[in-house]
Amino acid sequence: MGLLDWAWLFTLPGLILTALGVPRDQRQAGYASLAGPIVMLLVAIVAFIGGGQAAVDVPNWLPFLPDGDFRLLADPLSALMLAILGFVASLVYIYSLGYMATDPGRRRFFVYLDLFVATMALLVLAGNLAVLLIGWTGVGISSFLLISFWRDRPGTLGAGLQALAANAVGDGALLLAASLVPSGCGSLVTLNTAQCTAGVGGAELLALLLLVAAAAKSAQGPLYFWLPNAMAGPTPISALIHAATMVAAGVYVLARTHALIGEAPTTSLLICVIGVVTALAASAASLFQANFKKGIAYSTVAQLGYMFAGVGVGAPFAGLFHLFTHAAFKALLFLAAGVVIHGAGGLEGLADLRGLGRFFRFSRAGFLIGSLALIGTPLITAGSFSKDAIIDAGITSARPWVGWLLLLGVVLTGLYIGRLFTIVYMAPAGDPHAVHHDAASERLMDWSLVPLMVGAIAFGWLGSWLMGRLTGPLGDIEPLPSPFAITGWIAFILGAVGFGAAYWYALRQPGAAPARAGATSYAAAAWVAWIARGGYALSAGLARIQSGLLPVYAFGSLIALAVVLLAREFIR
Amino acid sequence: MSSEVLVLGTAVLLFAIGGAGALVHRHPVAMLMCVEIMLNAANLVIVLGARVRGLADAESAALIVLVLAAAEAVIGLALALALFRRRTTADIDTAAELHG
Repeated sequence: MGLLDWAWLFTLPGLILTALGVPRDQRQAGYASLAGPIVMLLVAIVAFIGGGQAAVDVPNWLPFLPDGDFRLLADPLSALMLAILGFVASLVYIYSLGYMATDPGRRRFFVYLDLFVATMALLVLAGNLAVLLIGWTGVGISSFLLISFWRDRPGTLGAGLQALAANAVGDGALLLAASLVPSGCGSLVTLNTAQCTAGVGGAELLALLLLVAAAAKSAQGPLYFWLPNAMAGPTPISALIHAATMVAAGVYVLARTHALIGEAPTTSLLICVIGVVTALAASAASLFQANFKKGIAYSTVAQLGYMFAGVGVGAPFAGLFHLFTHAAFKALLFLAAGVVIHGAGGLEGLADLRGLGRFFRFSRAGFLIGSLALIGTPLITAGSFSKDAIIDAGITSARPWVGWLLLLGVVLTGLYIGRLFTIVYMAPAGDPHAVHHDAASERLMDWSLVPLMVGAIAFGWLGSWLMGRLTGPLGDIEPLPSPFAITGWIAFILGAVGFGAAYWYALRQPGAAPARAGATSYAAAAWVAWIARGGYALSAGLARIQSGLLPVYAFGSLIALAVVLLAREFIR
Repeated sequence: MSSEVLVLGTAVLLFAIGGAGALVHRHPVAMLMCVEIMLNAANLVIVLGARVRGLADAESAALIVLVLAAAEAVIGLALALALFRRRTTADIDTAAELHG
């Protein structure tokens, strides 16, 4: 456990070496970074099995905050999160060696990846709000850098800035929370003590601020808009950051502070409402996407809604368990999609990709397994164990409507994933010559799918073992439902019906182009557009006073200096 | 008129000349020279203060200003050269792309 406290430094040697140009050959750029996430995975697994906890405390590091210590906390919960991060990151690194094989910016790509893994590990290891804020902002920045990685392509910079803006809302809320707590409070595990909830607004305000931060990071409620557009980044990034790890940070923080949430009934009701509404609305929105990756991205938003609802009904373990299995099968879906996109020369539209998935056997198998896990096929896929845990916890909780609505939502899940699978992997190929195979990079990509397939099938059986390990940091955990529980099978039947209906419908549809693609993704974000328009008008007005002439600025500086000096003289 | 007032007056005059020159000139090298004049004016005041108060660390501060001025000249000349290379004229009013 002690070594795990320093896991956020594991990828830094790789970052420095890659940035300095080691190895020198451009085609081998990134090899130096490979060791970092693999070491992180191994250390995290050993620490998780070993149990116990280890803390680091550098006192009075940021003296202007109520709790300005530099605190790290490694316990089974953070070990689990780091194991997920290390697992998905290792595979994404290997996958990227193939996916980015010919990209001229390959070295920069791996440097950004290393930066992301380092900041994400810091976020997970944070022991108090101050350190959490650093990691929180850090992952936001590295996410922006990676979304806008292909900065010459139209739209990528805008998508990155959108993510940055949404994350800034969350960062602001977290900063407020870190500043509002009474002096000495800020340690994440003791936020619920009477001393800490005695500040302004009490437990409700603190929980609400954490909820805003988590919703911004996990693309929930009104702050969902950035995640679908974040698909402008390279596909391995969509898998690692925007499906498996960073977007799950909101769920992690809510689960980590679940004791505080438990003392804030209004906020926990709000979490339930946001989770359920987002899950249903995003599932429906996925049905109207014309872009393959955006279709999967809305699925991520929806599944994060399930996790939020799980935490909201007081079942943080169910939420975390779903986070764990979702990381495997959603990364699998994205990476499998990436194989097809890479083979089609970067095209992402469903109309362009129609039927092309047939030519990639690994990708087809991977996407099928991922889809089955997503709709929750009992016993043989991981998704069923965790999703049924959430639905079951919802039905048996004080707010049973949460569970019933989530159960109904599985139909939509089946519909949208069935639609994507049928169009790309089952429909007759439009133009077989649109695909070009590149054996060397495809081999790397194909084989990095295999561990994720295994994970998407088998991770569910780890449930009760994880539960035993996490009893320490999470307190009393509700028991998991049996794999033979009736709700799970109902959920599966609903999902399978949706999947079958989509299969039947999409195969009979002549063209793959769904009608209103852009409309749904932007209509709900109208309030964002209003803010943006106001900002543009303001900055256009302010820009007019800029002449660009150096002497004018120098004159302004001199005048300002004179004013400051005179003012100082008079004030004295 | 005491010698202190004389030195102080000279410094003020030099600073004003340098400031006005930096604002009026359009050639980057000329502007750079005017900034050097302003720095020297400030240095004069520092040295004067050191002499009146008898402080050794103030004199060392004047030396630091000299070093800084040299470093600043290097960067300024490099900028002027880069400007000249890109535009073939060295008029800084042509470099106004950052206008709103």
